[in-house]
Amino acid sequence: MAQITNIIWLSFRDYSHEWRMSGCFVLALSSVLAPMLILFGLKFGIVQSMIVELVENPINREIRPIGSGRYNDAWIDAYRNRQDVEFIIPKTRALAATIQLKSKTANRILSTELLATASGDPLLVGIEQVPQDYYQAILSQAAARKLKVNAGDEIDASLARQFQGKRERVHLPLQVINVADIAVTSRNVAFVNLDLLVASEQFKDGRAVPELGWEGNSDDSIERVYPSFRLYARSIYDVDKLVRDLESEGVRVKANVGEISTVQSIDQNLSIIFWIIACVGALGFTFSLGASLWANVDRKRKDLSVLRLVGFKSGRIVLFPVLQSLYTAILGWLLAVLIYLAFEYLINRFLAPRLNLDQVLSYLLIEHFLWALGLTVVIAMFAAILGGIRASNIEPSDGLRDI
Amino acid sequence: MTVVYSLKNVVKERLTDGVGFRLVVPYVQIRAQEHIALIGHSGCGKSTLLDMLALILHPDESDQFSLHPIDGESHDINWMWQRRRQGHLSQIRKHHIGYVLQSGGLLPYLTVRENIELPRQLLKLPEDDSINSISRVLGIHRQLDKLPGLLSAGERQRVAFARALSHRPSILIADEPTAALDPITAQKIMAVVMELIKGLKITLITASHDWAHVYKMELRTLKQEAGPVDNGKVYQSRFSD
Repeated sequence: MAQITNIIWLSFRDYSHEWRMSGCFVLALSSVLAPMLILFGLKFGIVQSMIVELVENPINREIRPIGSGRYNDAWIDAYRNRQDVEFIIPKTRALAATIQLKSKTANRILSTELLATASGDPLLVGIEQVPQDYYQAILSQAAARKLKVNAGDEIDASLARQFQGKRERVHLPLQVINVADIAVTSRNVAFVNLDLLVASEQFKDGRAVPELGWEGNSDDSIERVYPSFRLYARSIYDVDKLVRDLESEGVRVKANVGEISTVQSIDQNLSIIFWIIACVGALGFTFSLGASLWANVDRKRKDLSVLRLVGFKSGRIVLFPVLQSLYTAILGWLLAVLIYLAFEYLINRFLAPRLNLDQVLSYLLIEHFLWALGLTVVIAMFAAILGGIRASNIEPSDGLRDI
Repeated sequence: MTVVYSLKNVVKERLTDGVGFRLVVPYVQIRAQEHIALIGHSGCGKSTLLDMLALILHPDESDQFSLHPIDGESHDINWMWQRRRQGHLSQIRKHHIGYVLQSGGLLPYLTVRENIELPRQLLKLPEDDSINSISRVLGIHRQLDKLPGLLSAGERQRVAFARALSHRPSILIADEPTAALDPITAQKIMAVVMELIKGLKITLITASHDWAHVYKMELRTLKQEAGPVDNGKVYQSRFSD
């Protein structure tokens, strides 16, 4: 135990005495490690978020039925419960899904498309509250701009029909609970609860909507069926199977197949390129670190022999180069992390705004740094132990006289 | 007087394809407090024999190789080498032997004081005035806080002697300790060292190619003869009493 304390002290004294040489080893290590960290930072930052954006983009995951069919609630629920379906909601006939909106702040009546929504709608990511009843709506940017309204405002919605030879119009107060992101659609759209959409269709068909006090024929016996639906696969990799399943049921659908295969191949190719660079870099890192630490052991042969002459055991002497490699590994890693952090700050601060990106270009998590440290230490220890065992196997009298 | 080293038919060879060098020690006994000099030209195996006596080089063959320090028990060195008892050998070395190299062998990253203290630290000897007093005797007490790189060659050898003696070993082995020094400095250092060794009752084994020097200090020399054997393929050197 006393010998180990002595070796720790001696290896540190030697390391700091030869600070120029030690500094070179540290620089050599960090100059290989820092670019690796930067590469990982960019991969983890901008590349990953671009890929995620492409892969997650709802437009690429949407499956649209062609023409109109007859889908009941049970059919819709069956698809809603599938693992590869993220979201599905029925649509009513396009003609019945139009509503006229009027606000106090704009003096025009805006004919607006109604789209049913519910919680989990991929088009409304980031909006927590969705319309819960007849009286709430989320407007698209285009509609909100034209009506000059913001979230929280109240607007007037109205529907018209020809019923028993007369023209009728009903009004309904709608609260704008939110405004959708501009990227969602450029059309005039009001996202509403499915009930309002169904009510609108019933009204236009001349049927009564007792909940809203709208009069008409009452025929509750008819099973509710929808001509269409809005469906999003969980990921672009699920689209293919969903399309095949739907078509096998006789549902003709359309999906962005071409776009999807492009995104898939970009994702795969970028991953391959990244891993090739990472593997080559890691290999180079291993060899450069191993070579410099091995060389260090060789350089220390005489000093190590002197230690043995003074009475240190061979097993303890192996510790000497191993400890010095540990110092190099830790200091080199520290320097590399500092270089990386400086790079991260500069690129996120100055380059990201120029590229008009609202996300950071490069970032790493604490565990990434710890992984890098662990890997560096393991490689350093491995190289030093190999070199150290070699040094300790040399007969103590060798190395004493080769000055 | 007790026999410290007892060697019989000890052989060390450095051969490649049957050509090279062979050191043979038919019979040598070194008694306590003897002062031995190995005399011979360069390459006659003086350092090889010293390394074996310092337990840092293993003999290839040996009928007997035992070490009995006056302040310890008798050790069968031959047996320890055969059983690869490196730890055991380094224990004996640490306790009983001080070694001075021709080039000093000081650790460049430790101060003079730390270099001299190192063997004492390994043995966990208490800190006392011994470092100061031995430094004063050897005339290096003003250099204690310097790094070896700042010392002259003569001062470095004095420090090397101080380190070899700091833990009070009963055996001092010195391999051409003054070869790199000018004759006057060499003589001064050896005179001081001889005084110290006599006072501390230490067995000294040293190597030198400087004949005149050795006789002046009244050292016992081992007989050495050398010449080619095995049809001139092997250069053989013999040391004997």
